[in-house]
Amino acid sequence: MILERPEEPGKKYALAFTILVHVGLIAALFLGVQWKRSAPEVMDVELWSSKPTPATYVPPPPPQPEPEPEVKPEPKPVPKIEPKPEPLPPKKPDIVVKEEKKPPKPEPKKPEPKPEPPKPEPKKPEPKVPDFSKELARETATKQPRPSTQQMANAAAAESEQRASSNRRGLESYSTKIRIKIRGNIVLPPNIQGNPEAVFTVDQLPTGEVLAVKLKRSSGNPGLDQAIERAILKSSPLPKPDDPALFQRSLEIKYKPLEE
Amino acid sequence: MNVTQDLSILHLIINASAVVQIVMAILAGVSVMSWYYIFMKWFAVRQARTKTEVFERDFWSGGDLNSLYNSAVNDRHHAGSMERIFEAGFREFAKLKTQKNLDPKDVVDGSRRAMRATYQREVDGLEAHLAFLASVGSVSPYIGLFGTVWGIMHSFRGLANVGQATLSAVAPGIAEALVATAIGLFAAIPAVLAYNRFAHDIDRLSIRYESFMEEFSNILQRQMR
Repeated sequence: MILERPEEPGKKYALAFTILVHVGLIAALFLGVQWKRSAPEVMDVELWSSKPTPATYVPPPPPQPEPEPEVKPEPKPVPKIEPKPEPLPPKKPDIVVKEEKKPPKPEPKKPEPKPEPPKPEPKKPEPKVPDFSKELARETATKQPRPSTQQMANAAAAESEQRASSNRRGLESYSTKIRIKIRGNIVLPPNIQGNPEAVFTVDQLPTGEVLAVKLKRSSGNPGLDQAIERAILKSSPLPKPDDPALFQRSLEIKYKPLEE
Repeated sequence: MNVTQDLSILHLIINASAVVQIVMAILAGVSVMSWYYIFMKWFAVRQARTKTEVFERDFWSGGDLNSLYNSAVNDRHHAGSMERIFEAGFREFAKLKTQKNLDPKDVVDGSRRAMRATYQREVDGLEAHLAFLASVGSVSPYIGLFGTVWGIMHSFRGLANVGQATLSAVAPGIAEALVATAIGLFAAIPAVLAYNRFAHDIDRLSIRYESFMEEFSNILQRQMR
């Protein structure tokens, strides 16, 4: 005598719970397991100490006294960055682009990438050495923050300087990329004393492939020099900069083995 | 090799070699099935236990056996296992009792046989799919291990082409491969736990059914006099 068995209880619930458990697991895996290897952050330091501007500067009133379209840019970054004068000098990038071999740039407006604190372009309205005390005195006397030509020039200079600094930042991230790639390929010889720096000149193709590596200044340790040279050759093709304008056929790579 | 390397789980699964991916797919399917059975068994065992308790209470509260039998027959779809055992035994008993030329011992034996048959069917129904859970628990770590070993072999073979061994050359491959073991363990651990738990619960239930059968046989024997 076969009795028909009743339906297994809770099939739908079991299915729902199963889906719930697996969705939970997948979510935990996706949220919990985020291993990422990323390049170290490029230090972003801007030097503003040389250009003091009044801190109590408010945006100019709509009817501008001298509407110059060319010098119009928003003077916003000035009050923002002014209160934190960073005493740190910008990190000197290890890769210094050679000036003389520079190909013609597609954007002539960009200032030249230089590791030194950038100078504003000569094309832009160059502020005179700001007569700071005079301006401040006048500012406090009038109590009316009006955008004078001096301030406008200041703002324009600030903007050009910012552009230069962003350019420098791109250069620095480029050099960091190259350095990380080389570091991944290097096999250091065992006996390194101190942290000697070697300087290499590297010629590369536009695709980043390394054509030639020349030792410019030895680190004093021939084994280390060879190791770095091998690492640079192995790193071919070198990574490309984010901004194609920063690409140089000839790079100067300074490499320290124990840098971090 | 990129400077920034994304090692999220999706990336690992997509970049794994085909064998590892197949292993992971098998394990994912096994995991889904085992969790489905775990929940289904869980509900089934819990329901069997509550129904057994309800029936035992009804039975030992001294009600009329005939009315209990009638309610069991009428409400067959909601009857628990113990109720069905009782029903089978009592039906057989009632049939045999009407035959005049039978020994009382034979009547009780016949009803006990009917009860045992139903009992075996019930326990078999409760134990269904438990073997699957046991196999998942014992085998899926090995499947995952196979995927891992294969993936590591693969990444070491890739290492031979690189020439210079860096950790970053092997690490992604090994991480990919280890995902297979992780999935295998995720399938195996709950399956083993659930198997042990359910086997224990079903053992206890079947002991209850068996003792009920003995006690009910005694009651029937007393009724024969």
